[in-house]
Amino acid sequence: MELKVDQDKCLGCGVCVIACPVNASISPENAGGHGSKTTETIMMVENGFIKLFSVDKCDKCGTCQMFCPTEAIWLE
Amino acid sequence: MVNVKEIEGKDFNIKRSAEEDRILSFKDHVCIGCGLCEATCPVEAIALDEVAPIERKYTETYFSGHEKIAQNYALFKNDNEVKAKLCIDESKCVLCGMCSGVCPAGALDLTIGGVSIKENEAYPTLIASAEIDEDKCLFCKKCEAACPRASITIDRTLPNRADLVTGEIEVCEDDCIYCGACAELCPAEAIVVDKTTGEESIVIDKEKCVYCLVCKKACPVNAIKAVCRSCSYGEYDLDPAKAAITGNAIIDKETCIKCGWCEGVCPADAATVKQAFKGTLEIDEEKCGTCGACIDVCPCNVLSFPKSSGPGDRGTHLVKEEDYCIHCGACAKACPNGALTVTRTDIDYTPTSSKSWIAAFEALKN
Amino acid sequence: MPKHIVSGLKYLESVELRKRGLSQKEISSQIGVDRSTISHYLNGRNISMDSIELAKTILELSPKDFILITKVLFGDYKEIRQIVTIFNMNHYDPQINDGCIGCGLCVDLCEMKAINLDSLKAKINPRYCCGCLMCVENCPTKSIEILEVKNG
Repeated sequence: MELKVDQDKCLGCGVCVIACPVNASISPENAGGHGSKTTETIMMVENGFIKLFSVDKCDKCGTCQMFCPTEAIWLE
Repeated sequence: MVNVKEIEGKDFNIKRSAEEDRILSFKDHVCIGCGLCEATCPVEAIALDEVAPIERKYTETYFSGHEKIAQNYALFKNDNEVKAKLCIDESKCVLCGMCSGVCPAGALDLTIGGVSIKENEAYPTLIASAEIDEDKCLFCKKCEAACPRASITIDRTLPNRADLVTGEIEVCEDDCIYCGACAELCPAEAIVVDKTTGEESIVIDKEKCVYCLVCKKACPVNAIKAVCRSCSYGEYDLDPAKAAITGNAIIDKETCIKCGWCEGVCPADAATVKQAFKGTLEIDEEKCGTCGACIDVCPCNVLSFPKSSGPGDRGTHLVKEEDYCIHCGACAKACPNGALTVTRTDIDYTPTSSKSWIAAFEALKN
Repeated sequence: MPKHIVSGLKYLESVELRKRGLSQKEISSQIGVDRSTISHYLNGRNISMDSIELAKTILELSPKDFILITKVLFGDYKEIRQIVTIFNMNHYDPQINDGCIGCGLCVDLCEMKAINLDSLKAKINPRYCCGCLMCVENCPTKSIEILEVKNG
């Protein structure tokens, strides 16, 4: 299984970025809603759209998929 | 020697035909995603999928109180894409049955000539059980409600109300004005009044009546004569057999995970559960990202985020009920931050002379 | 062709059993060929030299190839067992170590039906083991070793 994104559906709301527990452990400012200052996190919102960075860190918990209001990010 | 795999939805069978057919069967709805089969397989034929996202698609999450998440969950629940938790490569599988031997849920079963290895004394099996003693059972249904796998069915027959009360009641229809007040007030819905002009009637069902006398007190024309004799109808007069609640308590052995919730909630000590593994479950709260994946994969309802006493209704403190934990390790596998550690210190299994099988069972300790 | 090769093998079997002192009747019942044919074999009548040469070559093949060919020719494991025991091709000492997981693959593969499972461990009967090594090659835990026994 791997993490996939659909830019067309993405609203850029950033809920997935904040909800992701791996992101939270890598970047505390991210969990606080300030956006991560590093590309070490799994994904970030860039220019209004979700972008994947360190995807290999994803452990497939499915939290982002659960929170996304538009099904723009999921595991397949 | 070619193995044949038959797939039916998320379940499958692998068969090797010979003088005695060997069939390894897998039932996805029983599988708990612990991965012990994958770790034990001597030929590395088994691959466990990422169980957390599968379970999150198909189970309730602890977020279900939050409206938006519940809507998203509804979207996922309608997804028809069928995904099995386990895949076994039939070209590698030798049908030794070790996976079925160590499976704590019984999702895998090897049969040889139609007989399961669980019935074959040469094969070691995990010793775990759950029984309800129907002689002690009060049929209160607490276990049915507590069972995380919906494995318990309690059918009960309640005594007839009429056998537990006694008294007399009569309506004098000459005096009755069919106002219907008694029928509206009757707590047992035992009175039926028909006001149809020319066909007025009143009927009191004595099977339902409990002789509370409310109708008599309410009747504006004192048309009801009734007396309750229940209080003097004490334990000396009531036949205990008539007051008994009877029933059946059935545990579905296929899905029962022997977690012990039934034993824990039973007020009559009628349920007895024995787990196969002894061990520990540790939570490192600093690593927990509160994603809840562990809660969704746990087959025993051991983990939860209890509601905090502060604002909002989502707690962030992961709590465990370790008495009901079977130490399968599915939660530790699902956690993306490694916040959970499951250790098995003791494995209870039937004796065998096979050194390789003993090694496989002992290797479950970690 | 196969029928002739089989008759070549049956001829060699008859000759061998005759050396051991069995009567034609005994040979006939043991190898399943009617007595008059046995008589022809032993008196060198109605048998093709090519068949005999081919049968001799088959007996000299490596055990693996021998098994593959006799399986095609005879089909029945009892026939193959018979040749192996008559010509003493069963000079092997099969060993199974504790790595055996009792999967039964060797039991199902063995053309001589020399293997059975006893309490989750394979046991190979040296009387019928012909050293073809099919079990060794396919054992998932590499728990089988077939040693050759030199006849003193």
